[in-house]
Amino acid sequence: MMRRYDCLEKLAGWVDDHMFGVTSLSSNTAIWSEVRTNGPNFMGMNMGLCVPFALGLSMAFPRRTVIALDSDGSLMNNTSSLLSVGDLRPPKLVIIVMDNQSYARMGPTASSRNADLEAIARGAGIEHTATVRTEAEFEQHVKPALRQPGPSFFRVIVEAETERLVGNRRRVYGQAMKARFIETVSEHPDYQKWNETATLAAARQAVSDS
Amino acid sequence: MAIESLLAKPAAVDDELKKARMGPEAVRIVIDTFKQEGIDLIVTLPEEPTFSLTDAIRKDPYFTAATVTDESTGIAMCAGAALGGRSTVFVTGIAGLLVSTWALAQMGMVFGAPFLIVASYRGDFGDRTGIPGSQLAMFKRVAEPLLSTLSVPYQIVDQESKLKKAIVDSHFACHSYATPVALMLTGEVLW
Repeated sequence: MMRRYDCLEKLAGWVDDHMFGVTSLSSNTAIWSEVRTNGPNFMGMNMGLCVPFALGLSMAFPRRTVIALDSDGSLMNNTSSLLSVGDLRPPKLVIIVMDNQSYARMGPTASSRNADLEAIARGAGIEHTATVRTEAEFEQHVKPALRQPGPSFFRVIVEAETERLVGNRRRVYGQAMKARFIETVSEHPDYQKWNETATLAAARQAVSDS
Repeated sequence: MAIESLLAKPAAVDDELKKARMGPEAVRIVIDTFKQEGIDLIVTLPEEPTFSLTDAIRKDPYFTAATVTDESTGIAMCAGAALGGRSTVFVTGIAGLLVSTWALAQMGMVFGAPFLIVASYRGDFGDRTGIPGSQLAMFKRVAEPLLSTLSVPYQIVDQESKLKKAIVDSHFACHSYATPVALMLTGEVLW
């Protein structure tokens, strides 16, 4: 069975500096922060929030590839978000679910038994989907999807980690990570920075109107 | 015969239901102010009191209108868009805020995502939308304590004359505070 680290290391080699990475807690965050040290990453999305956050980011940057690196337990907390992806169909959103079929070291998830996450994604309206079990399949499906119209969804079967991965806490979590992300994306020419000057002018106008 | 009896409502109740939506003037003010503020991504899960607003937004090509299937998805989606620099509003009600508490805590308190929430103050005095009084009372009891607990700054707007300034100020505040900010619509604005 594949290791999550090996898949993410390969993926990091395929992304460019303009692609966004959004990661779920916690193994995806710990590994991704190590293998993709440059470029815009927003990391540490808690249960159920990785895919919808990435969906929002893809609405802000419709011409850039946004990669949601989710996990089985997190996605199953909010499979409803796939319906929104299937409905809105952002063309540059790539969802990769690292499915270790367990809640970390706390027992199996439903995907180890009867739940088929790819079928759920397809049923939600996402047309480009695959279940990946080998490194060759990972490269065959995921690598081209980074540069093809989507959205796309990949269920990647990986072995469960036996130890907890945490990563560099100061770099990958909370406000420090956010500040680094904003600093990176605000340099992009298509960043729609909130126009403070215009809003201040509008506020003054509203006051005079009232 | 049975279904007809279910559909039949006294005229007075029908009139109350028609009043229990944002009126055309309030809708116009909100849309004009959103445009003035450069807010062009509107996310919602439709609900009765704000339906006239979200329906008008969906028909206006200026806006990208996204209908989500649950409010947690909506809040997280707004956060992603807002932290990506897009001016974004989530339109919902008290029930939606209750459903989205996990996402709000994460996107507000943990990540400080700057976006605006426009919520009908369901259950506030004057709500005659026809839902059971026990539900209205629950909404009234939880609404403001919920926002306070989640550290979401909010403002209650009950007059159309204050609506434009409230939107402008709350939009400024969400960026200035770096957190979601809620506008709670009630009174003359809704019913």
